[in-house]
This record gives sequence, C-alpha cells and structure tokens, in this order.
Amino acid sequence: MSAQTAVATRGLSKRYGHVTAVDGLDLDVRRGEIYGFLGRNGAGKTTTIRMLLGLIRPSAGDVEVLGRRIVPGETAAFRGVGYLVETATAYPNLTVRENLEIQRRLTGSQTGAVAEAIALLRLDEYADRRAGQLSLGNKQRLALARALLHSPELLVLDEPGNALDPAGIVEIRDLLRRLSAEQGVTVFMSSHILSEVAHLADRIGIVHEGRLIEECPRDELAAKARAFSTQALTEQERADALLTMDLERYFLMRTGGER
Amino acid sequence: MFASVLSTEFLKLRRSKVTWGTLLGLSLAPLGLALFMWILREPGRAASLGLLGTKANLSGLEATWPFYASTLTTVIGVGGLLLLSFIVAYIFGREYTELTAKNMLALPVARHWFVVAKLVVALVWWLVLVAAVVAETFAIGLALGLPGFSAALALSTVGNSLLAAGMSYLIVPVVAWVTTVGRGFMPPLAFALVMLALGDVFAHTGWAQWFPWSIIPLLIGMVGTPQTLSAGSYVVLALTFFAGVGATIAQLRWADNAQ
Repeated sequence: MSAQTAVATRGLSKRYGHVTAVDGLDLDVRRGEIYGFLGRNGAGKTTTIRMLLGLIRPSAGDVEVLGRRIVPGETAAFRGVGYLVETATAYPNLTVRENLEIQRRLTGSQTGAVAEAIALLRLDEYADRRAGQLSLGNKQRLALARALLHSPELLVLDEPGNALDPAGIVEIRDLLRRLSAEQGVTVFMSSHILSEVAHLADRIGIVHEGRLIEECPRDELAAKARAFSTQALTEQERADALLTMDLERYFLMRTGGER
Repeated sequence: MFASVLSTEFLKLRRSKVTWGTLLGLSLAPLGLALFMWILREPGRAASLGLLGTKANLSGLEATWPFYASTLTTVIGVGGLLLLSFIVAYIFGREYTELTAKNMLALPVARHWFVVAKLVVALVWWLVLVAAVVAETFAIGLALGLPGFSAALALSTVGNSLLAAGMSYLIVPVVAWVTTVGRGFMPPLAFALVMLALGDVFAHTGWAQWFPWSIIPLLIGMVGTPQTLSAGSYVVLALTFFAGVGATIAQLRWADNAQ
C-alpha cells in the first residue's frame, strides 16, 4: 500500500453467519481524490465503511487508513478522519453548538473550530437549538459539520446527500469539491444514487453483493453509461431523464440555488 | 484526553432530563418513609383517612429514629441498587438508542476512556443522589420529632448508607457490560431486576455472602438481622467490579459495535 493511498483494503471480507456482506474487497483510494462508492441498498457499502472506521472487525483482510493499519480498538488512526456513518445522529438534548463542542474537545481542535464549522455548514440560525428539534436536512448539516470540524485529511461519508433538499445537495457537493481541490482533502463517499456520485467523484467503484464489480474514472463510466443508454433506453425513458434534469435546474433557480 | 472525555460526559449528563428525574424519584422515598412513620405514630388518624387497611399489622414496627434510619439504609441499599442500575444503563445505553455510539467509537480517543468517564459520571451522580436523600431524610426525621436520635446513630446511618451505596456501585459495571452487549436500555434493566430477585433468593441461603447481589441485602438486614460481612464478600464485590469494567472495555474495544 503506497504513501499516495488514503484508504486501502486487501481481501476485505465480512461475514454474518452464512451471509457475506463484503467479499474480498480490494480498494485503493488515492490521496486528494473524490472516490464514489456506488451500490444498491444492501450491497455492502455501509459494512465497508464500518470496517474502515474500526466499528466492526473484518472476518478477513486488511484495512489501512492514512498509512496506518486499522487494528480493532486502536483509534489513533482516525485522528485525520472525518466521517458520517449512515443516518445523521447527534445528542438530541444538546444544542448544535454543544454537539460540535463535544467533537471539538474529543478531537483536540482549536476553540474557534466550532464557530467555523457552524458558518461553513450555514447552521448559524440553529446554533443554539437542540439537535432533537432540527429538521432531517439540518441534522445532516450538523453531522457534516461534525465530520469537518477538525479539518480532516480524509472524509468518509455514507450517503452524504441524505435528507438534503436539491439546493442543499448542490451546496454540499460544491463544498466537498472545494475541500478536495483547495485543501487536498480525500473524500470517500458512498451512495446508492448515481447522480450524487456522478456529479462529484473523480473515480467510481461499483459494489454489488459485497464485491467491487467495476472501478474506473467518472468520465469513463459516464461514456459507458451513455453508450448503454443509447442502446437500451427507450425514447420515453430518455425524455423522462432530460425532464428530470430540467426540473431540477428550474427548481434550483427558483429557490435561490446556483446552476 | 481523559479530562476532555469526562467533561463531555458531564455536559451530556447536565442537559439530560433523566438526571433530574432520578433526583425527584429518589427524593420521594424519604417522603414515603415519613408518611410511614406518621402512620405508625398515629394509626387511628391514618385509619380514619383511609391510609391504613383494616387488616394492617403494625406489630414490631415503631416510629423511632433507629427504625427510621434502618429503613433508609434499606431504601438506599436495594431501591438504590435498582436506581443505580438504571442510571448506568441510561449513561451507556443512550449512545445506542440515540444512535451516537458509531460517532463516539470512531473518534481518535482510546475507547476505555469512554467507559471510565461514564462510570465516573455515574459515581458522581450516585453520590449526589445519596447525599441529597440522606440529607432530606434527616431533615424530615428531625421535623417529625421522632424519638431516639443521637449523634452516634446519625453517624452510623450515614456510614451504613454510604457503605450500601458504595457496594451498589461496585456491582453496576456488570450492568454497563450488559448494556453494551444488548445495545439499549431494556436488556440491562431486565438483567438488573432478575439479579435483584436472585439476590433475594440467595440471601436466604448459605451462599449469600458469595453472590454479589445478595451481599447488600445481607449487610442491611433485609433478610434477618444486619450482618457484618466477611472479607470474602468484599473480595467478591471487588472482583465483580473489575470483571464488569474489564468486560465493558473489551466489548467496546474488540466486539462489533454496529448499531
């Protein structure tokens, strides 16, 4: 595993009894790139992310994050990692600011980091509101603020667009792109929504039944998808897809989002 | 790092309604005790108010300080053990029910610090509750003007209460372990109730001094007269404490911690 690799797995597997959730996964996510981990529900995305973060033990194989092998119970490797696993959760009785303050203290970040994260995710209006009273979209923003608070080198994001409205998705997309381009942050993001990954990722890996069945740069995958749609889609399906894109643009324009 | 973890645990505790709920719940015990004393002292008036059933047998019970104080020790020893189990189940279990365990366990913080910090928070919370209840009981007892008060009795009551409270604390790390294995409130609460019932059963046998949950009933005289514990009982309690702490740390460190 090279020094240029932010996340590497070799033969990574996870079995639950007779069910194999992840099956011999070999991944190499380069430093500074945005890697889209695409798969249907139940494909093994979240299980992989849990293993990357040391939350569950692999049945077989190795994981290396930012050059450090992940050993069960050893958490020092996560100093440079920001993450969002599955649903965005926070302590409901604590305010947004207090939830972020917990993250700040436990990651040893500077005092100003909370205010910066609040501003970055546009949570100023909700900073003193209890997390339990937030909308799903704002909970997602809070979870992303948590992930970004300590200026991590690597972001591991499980379905980051969950619960966000279209304008919010575009905003987070732009933020992640900026972090990657300007600060060299590596982003490993999973999603079951192709458009979410396609708009953002430099490279895309498709996972199915726990196996990586395809991995290539985004443009290459887009070319394959275009060729496929030319052959397989009906006129009506193509028209529906275009209509969806047009509606999304119009919606963003009317609601103040960019595009 | 431990100081940071501890400060965040106290922040979570301070904002929780459960903290104040337990204080309210336990503070009702001396009030109930005071009512009981008043009934013993004024059985005729209590009966006329419907507080005393026609078949109630009050023989052997008396409204005196020694009886009042020994009942307080029983309340703290047995009722308190159940309440402390609830507190520990809450402190550890909320991370699972609020789905924040996954956030907590991927932080760059050694996981044993979370276990130690949560147990320290439980200890402080428990001592505050016990101190408040003992103070309340004394205030109410003095207001009632019960006979038989002496400085020696007051000292021994405080001492016995603290001893029972301390012994309860030595047992509850096992409840913490059950919480982390069961990932929620219900398994530890069921466990605590079953253990309390088993403790009562064992307390009537020759094994009482060797079974952790029957040592407190033995000490406070819940079965027969209060007994001086053998050194073996203290060793059993110490072993139970270290086994519970060790098992909880091992669970968080090496077991799968998916939610």
